[in-house]
Amino acid sequence: MRGVFIRAEPGLRFCVHHGPEQGHPRGMVLYVHPWGEEMNKARRMAAWQARELCRQGYAVLQIDLLGCGDSSGDFGDASWEAWVSDVLAGVQWLRDMHGQGPLWLWGLRAGALVASEALQRLGDAAANLLLWQPTTAGKSVLQQFLRTRAAAEMHAGDSKGLLQRLRADLAAGRSVEAAGYRVSPALAAGLEAARLLAPPGNGRVVWLEVATRQPPALLPTSASCIAAWRADGKQVQAQALTGPGFWQTQEIEDAPELIATTSAALAAA
Amino acid sequence: MGVQEELLRVIDEVLSLKGRTASFTRATPLLNAIPELDSMAVVSLITTIEEQMGITVDDDDIDGSTFETVGSLVDFVSMKLAAQH
Repeated sequence: MRGVFIRAEPGLRFCVHHGPEQGHPRGMVLYVHPWGEEMNKARRMAAWQARELCRQGYAVLQIDLLGCGDSSGDFGDASWEAWVSDVLAGVQWLRDMHGQGPLWLWGLRAGALVASEALQRLGDAAANLLLWQPTTAGKSVLQQFLRTRAAAEMHAGDSKGLLQRLRADLAAGRSVEAAGYRVSPALAAGLEAARLLAPPGNGRVVWLEVATRQPPALLPTSASCIAAWRADGKQVQAQALTGPGFWQTQEIEDAPELIATTSAALAAA
Repeated sequence: MGVQEELLRVIDEVLSLKGRTASFTRATPLLNAIPELDSMAVVSLITTIEEQMGITVDDDDIDGSTFETVGSLVDFVSMKLAAQH
């Protein structure tokens, strides 16, 4: 496991590369992290899974998108387009390093949106999608982000007015801030318009969610999306597992069932 | 599962309370009483409640009165559920 900087306009992106000690990997996995603070809360689970996949013979690259983590730029400089390009740059780096083997784009929450859009542009008919609690529409992530500001200012008693003002600011070309993150209109617009897309070719989809309610069940919006993809002939393995929402819980939590199921799915690939 | 029971399960999970909600009642204060309930946690709570309990929270529902106590939140969710039928 090592840290590497890869070139992606503008500047550099920090990545963690888990490569096989020797020989060729059986495949490549690129991890696309979720939005904002979710990225940090999910680090432990992502690192754990990356190590497991590496143990199984995969080369894994975890990339910090523009303005995130240790990559160049501030969050306020990021745009949706830049993030999609970053994923493509990460794939190219993996290919340059490891050749043409099977590829998985692995996205958590809004990262799944970026990953699925990058997959559209990849031109690789066999590339697969590994989705952890994927957001089917970016609109909800933007709403959650803006609501963080409303929650912070609840004492003022005008959440509706505040949210209207924030949206008006974005529409007028002004960045907005919430929870310590500044978001540009370009990023907000891209996120709001983003929809989870099925692989264009015959790549597989592994769609996994966690829930604490018993028995665990996929979100209704997920179930609809999966049904539509299957109707289109896509191969989708979908499962809801028991586990906490580790990308958002107050403390860093583990979801061992998710690790085991993901590992098994990619071991069988 | 009743609304209160389900809501306490969600609160316990999102705030990482490790079972502390077992002793919560309607009167238990939430906002400004539980340090874990910061603005990000409020939004996580709203999102999880929307997703798992099938309601839609409106922008003006994001108000201190909704999150004041367990009871106020239970009443809010119950009202939303009833409005759907």
